[in-house]
This record gives sequence, structure tokens and C-alpha cells, in this order.
Amino acid sequence: MTDSADRPNQPMQTAGATPAGAAPVMELEAYRPPRNQWWDVWDQFKSHKGAMVGLGFFVFALLFVYVGPLIWTIDPTYIDIRARNSGPSMAHPMGADQLGRDTLARMMTGGRTSIAVGLTAMLLSLVLGTLIGVLAGYFKKLDGPLMRTTDLFLALPLLPLLLVIIMLFRDQLRAAFGPEGGIFVLIVVVIGITSWMQTARVVRGDVLALKEREFVLAARSIGTPSSRMILRHILPNVMSPIMVSATLGIANAIITESALSFLGLGFPSDFPTWGRLLFDATDWLQQNPERVIWPGLAISLTVLSVNYIGDGLRDALDPRIRGR
Amino acid sequence: MFDFDSARKLVEVDDLKMYFPIHTGLLRRHTGNVKAVDGVSFDIFEGETLGLVGESGCGKSTCGRTVLRLYEPTSGQIRLDGRGLAWGNPVARRVRNRSDRVGNWAAGLVFTIGAGLLVGALVRGSVTGGWAIAGLVALVIALTLAALYGAAYVSRRMLMSSEGVSDKDFAPSEGALRRLRPTMQMVFQDPQASLNPRMTLAGIIGEPLSEHSGMSAKEREARIYELMDAVGLNRDFANRYPHEFSGGQRQRIGIARALALNPKFIVCDEPIAALDVSIQAQVVNLLEDLQERLGLTYLFISHDLSMVRHIADRVAVMYLGKVVELAPRDVLYDEPLHPYTRALLSAVPEPDPAAHETAQREVLQGDVPSPANPPKGCNFCTRCPQVMDICRRIDPEYLEVQPRRFVACHLHYEHQETAEATAA
Repeated sequence: MTDSADRPNQPMQTAGATPAGAAPVMELEAYRPPRNQWWDVWDQFKSHKGAMVGLGFFVFALLFVYVGPLIWTIDPTYIDIRARNSGPSMAHPMGADQLGRDTLARMMTGGRTSIAVGLTAMLLSLVLGTLIGVLAGYFKKLDGPLMRTTDLFLALPLLPLLLVIIMLFRDQLRAAFGPEGGIFVLIVVVIGITSWMQTARVVRGDVLALKEREFVLAARSIGTPSSRMILRHILPNVMSPIMVSATLGIANAIITESALSFLGLGFPSDFPTWGRLLFDATDWLQQNPERVIWPGLAISLTVLSVNYIGDGLRDALDPRIRGR
Repeated sequence: MFDFDSARKLVEVDDLKMYFPIHTGLLRRHTGNVKAVDGVSFDIFEGETLGLVGESGCGKSTCGRTVLRLYEPTSGQIRLDGRGLAWGNPVARRVRNRSDRVGNWAAGLVFTIGAGLLVGALVRGSVTGGWAIAGLVALVIALTLAALYGAAYVSRRMLMSSEGVSDKDFAPSEGALRRLRPTMQMVFQDPQASLNPRMTLAGIIGEPLSEHSGMSAKEREARIYELMDAVGLNRDFANRYPHEFSGGQRQRIGIARALALNPKFIVCDEPIAALDVSIQAQVVNLLEDLQERLGLTYLFISHDLSMVRHIADRVAVMYLGKVVELAPRDVLYDEPLHPYTRALLSAVPEPDPAAHETAQREVLQGDVPSPANPPKGCNFCTRCPQVMDICRRIDPEYLEVQPRRFVACHLHYEHQETAEATAA
């Protein structure tokens, strides 16, 4: 053995008590104790420039939509009739719309909804997709039924389905959660349950491949039960595709929400979201082109920053890339 | 030399069969079996190393994995330390299947009746209100489950007394098998593939501890360091990931993981095949050293005959799913009885170049037959240099021809006539 000479040759019959209990205390201090893995992840994440810029912008966007209204206190629904269709000015830094409502204030309130919808819908579809993918890949008996269900959802025509769901449930949800809350829940659920299928398929494929790897067999020989096998061995190894779906999912959710609002199925027309602002502004593209630019820029930059965060996170979570 | 007379049998394997089904065609019909392990019997004494050799694809690894119950064996018995790991007797398996079927039927019946009554009541409108409906649905589900397990249990008890099967003949349940896992562990062939790339060394070695020992984090850490010392890994490596180690170090991580729970029996599945020669010696010496200190019992699977000669006390030779010869190491290497063992031993390279030139090699002709379709008679009859007429007709029995020497070959079978008579 190459490096056993410099080490005390401890007997190791008993599991709990260290036989040479007194001696190695000093040595233990000299070695690095097992460190929380998340510190390594953070170290690697910090070294990814794009991810840090993305994280910076995302934090800025969050501050803009949540803290911004405390500083810029104009009510987004207040109509300043004299300022309608005006360009940027001191009173309205981003201009005002055709009714004279302040665009900056509307961007802040709208962003709050858009980001919240994007994040929650993404989380919902991610949890659903990962759950179904892992169960279908890991348990052979569930594979057939779950994947056929996935195919069923993929085959459903999306827009008519959304129409039906919204027609059926809008009023009950409005009654239960209030007008805006009800629509929020409805839109998040609708986007979530119509966008988990790709994640489920990708995850299932990866789980099927992972299940045949020898380290899973090794865990079986240890006696690891299925639940911890999935949590400890399967899930961390399918993190990369899940991360990719997550970042794409946020963008998809924000855009779907805009499309729904545009069709009149989403939030009420006076309730601003980034997508709503964008679609409203398209009518005024000739007169006030900057009104399209603001929400468009906000959506693209948020999506881009989330993509970069996901990219950095994926690299940081893979120990083989970490430290390179 | 290992003292066989005073030793106790730790592992007993009796007529173990592991068939993998072949499904073909559009309907995935079951059209045959790959007979990876086809009737293997051997005992392993406490503290010894049994070498298991054979060419690739002969079922060595499958045999080792089946002994540890990583696969569900098709038939045969495995006992570790007197406790059964597989179905002790085929009748018990039949009893279990029949009682499970009874349970399924009972559950189906109860569910149909219950659901029918419930639907009827709902249609007639005699049940209204969300809570009442929910309660009745829950009641139907509970009754169905009770019928499923209750009927299976009662019918099993009845069948057990009528068929004369005892509890011991049943294979251990998942939970019972899990509790037996600490006594038997495995070292895998490919150290890279057998370690989770997303776990640190401390996490990998600590996994069996957190699964079975119920130690606190502090005790676990101490034990992890102790194990790392035992296999010669620097304590500073605890935070590293498998890809940061060399092949030899990775294999030591695998060995440390196998040792974590103080097992009695370790299956080493070609632990040195993926390592280069200088590291092979290190790992084998480490295994021997640990055996001496901890009194371990090994099933050492390898295709490296010289390494097996070094480490094993007894050697079993496998060919196409069957053990053809099992004997103490020295007699097997000095005087092999089975033609296949002779051919295998003559293929070992000669270190002396002069002797290498003049070596009398028995080179086997042809390929190994498919384990899905083994030849009639002796499995080796298609390639055996000493094949006789009887070999193509009758599968030789696996018998103790000399004390502690088991061979399955007609050449060493004294009662050929009686064998033919019984076969006919």
C-alpha cells in the first residue's frame, strides 16, 4: 500500500467505540471535517460569470416589482388624462398609456404577477413532471399507465382544453380566492398541468438508464429502501435535465400567461401583467414604440437571467464539473 | 492452509438456479430462458475464501449476486448462517402464490359488492352529503384491503398446515431481507460505476451506517474515519467525490463501504479486474489483511487464475452456468480432474519465456454454447477434448469423487452403467 505507513493502524472490531479513543482526538482536528455539500455548490456557482449576472438581474427584478411600488407610489390604475400617450418624461419615466396610466407603475405591478405566475407554474409542472417521470422510470408496474397518461396529455389540444377548464372553474375559484387570487390559481394550475409532460419523459428516460447502473445495485446490496434510493441516488443524478426544464418552464409560463390574457381568458383587462402590457401596446406600435419595448425587455431579460441561473446551478450541482 | 475439519459452514447454496426470461415478438411472449446459473451447489466455510473462476459469460457474477439475493432466484436454496435467504422449498412458494390469489379474489369480490351497493345507494338517493359519501367510500376501501390481507393470511395458514410447510421455508420478506443485509456485503467489479458520482466519499461509506446502525452523526463520522484508515485512505479525502480518485483508491472506497457494517460474508465480484497490475496486488493484499483481522469469509469471483491461486482456499470452476469442479486450491492447480479445468489452467501465461515457447497448451476449439440453449448432456461436450458418447446424452452428476473434491464429469464417474440405467 502506498500511503498506509503514515497512518496509525487501528483495530476496527467494534462499530461504535473507537478502541484507541484517546490518541486520534488531536488528529481529527487536523483533518477537514465533512463539509456541507451546498458550500461547494455555492463556490462553483459563484465562479460562473453568467449565472452571477443572471442572479444579479433576477434579484434586481424582484426588488423592482416588490420594493419598487413602495418608492414609486403612483397607483397603476390612476388615470392622468392629460398625459395619455405621452413619451418618457419626469412625471412618467416610462411614459403613459392611451388612458394616461403610468407605465412604470404598471410595469411594477404587472411584473409581480408575471414573475409569481412563472415561478409557481414552473414549480408545479416541475414537481408533477419529476414525480411522474421518476415513478414511471423506477417502478416497472407504473411505467405503462403513467406514460400512457403522459401521451394522453400530450395529445390533448391545449387551447380548447384551457378554454373548457377556465369556463368551468373560473367562477368557483373567483368565489373562493377573490377575483385576482382565483384567476392566479387557475392560470398557475392550468399552465402547470399542461406543461409537465416533457419533463416527465426526459426524467423517465434518465431514470431508466440510471436504474441499471452499478451504484444502484450497490445501494440495493446495502438494503436501501426504494424511497431513499430515489431521493439519494436517482434524483441527484437526474438534476441536469430537471434544471433545464425548470429554466425553460419559467419562460414558457410567462409567455403562456400573456397569451391567455391576450385571449381574454386570463386576468381581467384592467389588471396589468407584463404579457398584458405587451399585447395592449401592440396596437400603439406606430405612435409609441417604447411602450412595447419596456415589457418586452422585462420578459426577455427575466427569462434570460433565469436561464443563466439554471445553467450555473446545473454546473454547480455536478461534482465532475465543479472545481474545474 | 485452511483447516476444513473444524470449520463451520457459513454459506450453503443448494441447487441454485437463476434463469432470465427471454421475451420475443410483438406480444413479448416468454419464449425461453437464459440459464445464467443452472443448478449450482456449494458451501463456504467460515473464514475461508472460495474462489469462483470461469470464462466471461459463464454466470460467475450472476451467481454471486444471486447468493446475496440481489436477484430473485428461479429456484434453489441459499442459507447464510443457517437462515434461509430464498424459498426453502418449492411447495412454500406455491402456497404463497395460491394464498395471494385467494386474497386477490376475496378483495375483488368485496370491492365489487361494496362499490355496487354504494353506487346503488347513490343512484336511489338514500345517501346524501359529502361526508357520508366519503365515509362510505373509505369503508369500502378499508374492507377491500382487509379482505386482501385477511383472506391471504387465513388461506396461507390453512395451506401451510395441510401441505406441511413451516414459516422457515418462506423466503424472507423485503423487510426481513433488509435486516439480513448487514451480514452480507459485496465489492463490485467496476469501482467507477459502483460509486454514486454525486456523493462524497464520506457519504458513500456512511450510507450503510445511516441505513442500518442508527448512529449519531458524530459516531458515524468516527466510524467513517476508522474505515478509511483500515483500507488506507487519507482522512482528508472525506469530502472528495469518486471522480477525484484513482482506480485503486476507488476500489478501496468500495471495500470500506462493504466493511462498514462488520459483515461476515463478502462477495468480491472481480474486484481487481478493472485495476492495473500494481494496484491489483495492493487491493488483494488489503483483502487478505482484512480477512485476517476481521475473520471475513469471501466468495472471490475472478477470471484471473493466478490471483485466485494466491488468495483462495478452495476453488470452484464454472462453465456455462454450472460448477464443473470444486476442490481445495493446491490439488486443483496440481492435478485438475475436469477437462475444462485442465484447459483453463493450461491457458495461464508462463512467466518464463523459454517455458512459454515450449508450453503444452490445450487449446479449446469452438465457442461457448449459448446459455439460452445449452447442449444436451454435458454442457462441455461440444468442446471437450476427451468427449465420449455418454457425454452427449447424459448430464454428468456433480459428485464428491475424492474427499472434498467435487467434479461433474463422466471420466471420473465410477458407476457409469448404473447412471445409464437410471437415465434410461
